[in-house]
Amino acid sequence: MDFTLSGESKMMVKAARDFAEQVIEPVAAKVEEENTLPDDILQKFANARMLGMMIPKQYGGIGSTALNVILITEELAKAGSAAIYTMVMNNSVAETIYHWGSEDIRKRFVPPLCDGSSYAAMAFTEPGTGSDPTAITTIAVPDGDYYVLNGTKRFVTNGHRKGYGIFYAKDETERITAFIVDKSSEGYTWSKPYPLMGLAGQGLVDVFLKDVKAPKENILGEKGKGFDILLRWIAGEKVQQMAFMVGMGQECLNESLKFAKERMVRGRPVTAMQGFQWMLAEMHASIEASRWWTYRLAAKQDEDSDIQVDSAALKLFVVPIIQEVARKALQIHGSYGYCKDYKIERLYRAIAHAGVTVTSTEIQKTIVGSALARSKGI
Amino acid sequence: MDIVVCIKQVPETTDIGWNPETGTLMREEAGGILNPHDKHALEAGLRLRETHGGFVTALSMGPPQAEDALREALSMGVDRAILLSDGLFAGADTLSTSYALSLALKKIARFDLILCGKESSDGMTAQVGPQLAELLNLPQLTYATEMTINGNSVQIRQKMEDGFRTVETCLPALITMEREINQPRIPTMDSIMEAYRDKETEIWGGEDLGGAKGHFGLKGSPTQTRKVYSKKIKKGEVTILEGGPDEVARELIGILRQKDLL
Repeated sequence: MDFTLSGESKMMVKAARDFAEQVIEPVAAKVEEENTLPDDILQKFANARMLGMMIPKQYGGIGSTALNVILITEELAKAGSAAIYTMVMNNSVAETIYHWGSEDIRKRFVPPLCDGSSYAAMAFTEPGTGSDPTAITTIAVPDGDYYVLNGTKRFVTNGHRKGYGIFYAKDETERITAFIVDKSSEGYTWSKPYPLMGLAGQGLVDVFLKDVKAPKENILGEKGKGFDILLRWIAGEKVQQMAFMVGMGQECLNESLKFAKERMVRGRPVTAMQGFQWMLAEMHASIEASRWWTYRLAAKQDEDSDIQVDSAALKLFVVPIIQEVARKALQIHGSYGYCKDYKIERLYRAIAHAGVTVTSTEIQKTIVGSALARSKGI
Repeated sequence: MDIVVCIKQVPETTDIGWNPETGTLMREEAGGILNPHDKHALEAGLRLRETHGGFVTALSMGPPQAEDALREALSMGVDRAILLSDGLFAGADTLSTSYALSLALKKIARFDLILCGKESSDGMTAQVGPQLAELLNLPQLTYATEMTINGNSVQIRQKMEDGFRTVETCLPALITMEREINQPRIPTMDSIMEAYRDKETEIWGGEDLGGAKGHFGLKGSPTQTRKVYSKKIKKGEVTILEGGPDEVARELIGILRQKDLL
């Protein structure tokens, strides 16, 4: 068991740090204020070759590893901005299309996700369901060479941005099928982006499908097996999301240390006081444990192992303790941390998202608990 | 145009110990980074190649772990990377370092331009570039904030203590760079993979360079460090002046004059 990161991985992290400082941080406050991303942000990620990192070169990627994706996600996350989600989505959706797609589908839809000409979207949730496939009401009816899709999808990241998305609908057999939909199709419309508590600019919209045509050759994977595609994508997405949490948690600690070393109380810096030292120690231990488990699951992805239960357990562990890290960071900053002038305010709101998106913390308990109940023991 | 960029790996933090016997930095204690000024020199070299064509070599001297700095240079896009690494070179001061680099440049043989960062962030002597030019008997232009190639000559905007001046010389020449000259590129993810997987770093030792062994390393270093210590910074009391801007300015000038600071 080797816990040493390679020189290549360390250099990628360093480049991601420079990218965050030079590209993300300068626009982060404006993104929060205006709830929108700069138009060229996805292209900047593409130019840095951070999109489709796990995709082989012949499909436009660079043939890297899930671990390297996780490492740069963690580093970029320190900026605490939704801008990073554009990269996260394009990486995870490109990998999903590559994994399940036919050669024709790979060639048509993976390169645009790698070169930044397409914003990735994944649309399952509906007004009436978040996780239950039986409650899906979007339907896909065959009509000649096409399927005609009708329905409403909720909280679709990048639903309003150009490119392609994976949309889940009940086909004529009442089973869930995944369709790759062109977001410029006739009948495809969307709502205004939801104003969010944190990670403004992420671009969560409702998408309305009215007689939207998807060619039959755009079915991803096997017809009627869409839920399998969704579950595998969610497992990988959870690992990326936890890397995002680890990065933001680390930045909470970095900001807290910087503040506490300078903040003087009765002639001593706050860091000289045991009560604050204990908070800092607990934050550090929580982040380290979260970090290494996240890396472990990325390594399992690289081994092509099934991580559906493991990723649920990871999320079950990481979300509450990184949220506690953010709470402690706020306490260390005192009233200053509640002011928008301090980065901790933005991080605190951003960290709140992970407990309720990409499936809630409570769902993780059900996944892990039911798996344990079915198992013969570890 | 053939360009050689001299680079150095420096400690990542300023919190680094000293060897009390030799007075040299205990570099192995700290993580290493590419010297920030050298990144600007690399960027300048790569931009010249993009404009005029040619070949860019990164040259460094240091312990084996200094190879990471060369891998970074490769990931930025240099064509060739050479590390001078040998126990013989250990403990070198700026003169001894310049000597080894000059031998390496003679071995490389083909170059129109040598680019260096203004100084390293650890030693901060700004001596290696100028010494190297002298040892190679080349013209040198230092503290460049702009650089232009005109045929067989190079012109720079030189940063002075009290302003700038424009100076020019013929090629081949050595130029040292200020940070203002450019914004170094961030290596792309695929170029990092290529730098680590597909490209080689050449390692040259004392035998490869030839020269007089007595001029290498600690033996060849006329600089003898007698004592090394961290400067103690005493924190003074803070006085907050209150009142309107004019009143506060007058009071501040009075205090500075009292302390003979004006």
